[in-house]
Amino acid sequence: MAEEIVRVENLDLAYKNVHAVKGVSFSVKAGEIVAIIGQNGSGKTSTVECVEGLRKPDGGQIRVFNKDPWLRRGEVYKEMGVQLQEAEYPLKIRVEELCGLFASFYERPADWELLLAQMGLDEKRKRPVHKLSSGEKQRLSILLSLMERPKLLVLDELTTGLDPEVRQNMWKSFGNIRKGGVAILMVSHYLDEVEVLSDKILYLEKGERQFFGTKQEFREYVKTRVPAGEWEETFSLEKLYLMITPKTAGLTMEGIL
Amino acid sequence: MKGFIALCKMELRLFTRDFFSFFFALVFPVLMLLLFGGIFGNEPVYEGANVRMMDVCVPAYCVMVIGVTSLMSLPLTLAGYKEKKIYKRFDATPAGKGNVMLAQVFVNVVMTLVGIFILLVAGAVLYHVQVKGKILPVSIGLSFSMAAMFSMGFLFTAVGWDVKSTSLLCYLFYFVMLFLSGATMPDMLFPDTVKTISGFLPMTYAVDLVQGVFAGDGLGLHGRELLVLGAVTVACGVAGAILYRRKDWT
Repeated sequence: MAEEIVRVENLDLAYKNVHAVKGVSFSVKAGEIVAIIGQNGSGKTSTVECVEGLRKPDGGQIRVFNKDPWLRRGEVYKEMGVQLQEAEYPLKIRVEELCGLFASFYERPADWELLLAQMGLDEKRKRPVHKLSSGEKQRLSILLSLMERPKLLVLDELTTGLDPEVRQNMWKSFGNIRKGGVAILMVSHYLDEVEVLSDKILYLEKGERQFFGTKQEFREYVKTRVPAGEWEETFSLEKLYLMITPKTAGLTMEGIL
Repeated sequence: MKGFIALCKMELRLFTRDFFSFFFALVFPVLMLLLFGGIFGNEPVYEGANVRMMDVCVPAYCVMVIGVTSLMSLPLTLAGYKEKKIYKRFDATPAGKGNVMLAQVFVNVVMTLVGIFILLVAGAVLYHVQVKGKILPVSIGLSFSMAAMFSMGFLFTAVGWDVKSTSLLCYLFYFVMLFLSGATMPDMLFPDTVKTISGFLPMTYAVDLVQGVFAGDGLGLHGRELLVLGAVTVACGVAGAILYRRKDWT
């Protein structure tokens, strides 16, 4: 049986006036990809930031490699790679300098020169990071998350800003990384990505766990919630998600024209 | 340790790439020396005095260098990293933001010492300025001045809620202190009202202390300056630490 890398039990997190995460529980095992899905503001990033030890939970328990990530962040980060939803780097630092700096934090860093080439950033190595395009910055963020040969990867919106060809490459790469036994916890708004990559889905709505299980179990979960006449077995994950997620008001032309 | 050394190297590189910090910490004080040296020459401060103009100005410009790094460079770097969530990215590594901040303080202290060294060399070469004080009182005088000024800068970063408000506080206090403390021109030229105001500014005590120890005074003659600067260090350091802990780092 695969080793449990992340265990979250009854996670609670509140900001000043917002109860962002309410009693969420899930786990991630070695070689498994768990995708967190849900609308904007549903608590996805808050949840992963607690797993990353960047936010102190108000309640519940989190164990990463059997350690509390808030209290033992330094130890946890020796085996955990993180790609944040928004990442900024010091102004005027160059790509190769940033890679070298991050490599210095680890005992056995990855070969970042090779990763630069594989990520298509080799020609940009002398360029200041703030002059990279958003897609290039995203690739650099992914590269940095792999710097310590992690056993756990936490990826918050992995392919945002990437072109379709690079996205597909990333899917292949992370599929291979998972096969190497790495556990991956990811947040994504792209349901095609979740369909291709994930083994399990954690679906959040207004900070509460609505569903946690395999993709097949998610299909069954949605099936029980839609009228029989509207159901088709061939529905994509995106279609399933759209069928159960609360509807937001669309933009009308009223008031514009 | 390897990571901390790499962080210090990076911060040093970034310091030299930042025109503002580099120019005002390392070049501007030397330009001031040339300007005021050109105007006043290195004549006695008044007829018959055994203290010459540049003997007074060079230690004062040393305090100007301390002011640039402590009240401009470091606080704005800290505020910028916090606002852009750069510390958060480093917190998601084994290094953590604590080491980054420590490296930033270390580099700014080193650049302060480099700036002071350049100034002393320029003063010695151009105007034959000599530091008459012994190494211990000079080191203690500079350390107390730096500790007080860096604590003030830290407090401004803790009080400011973003880069703009931190800049406003830093610019305001830096320039007021720069012109009214005797760091740019000798306070003996000030009218009485300005002298009264300058008595409330911590930088005035730093200028008096550094001028004194450079001239060969023992620390016993500057108990008041040491007391004021020590009190400023403790008060600003404690208040800054309390306020900083309350900041949302995510």
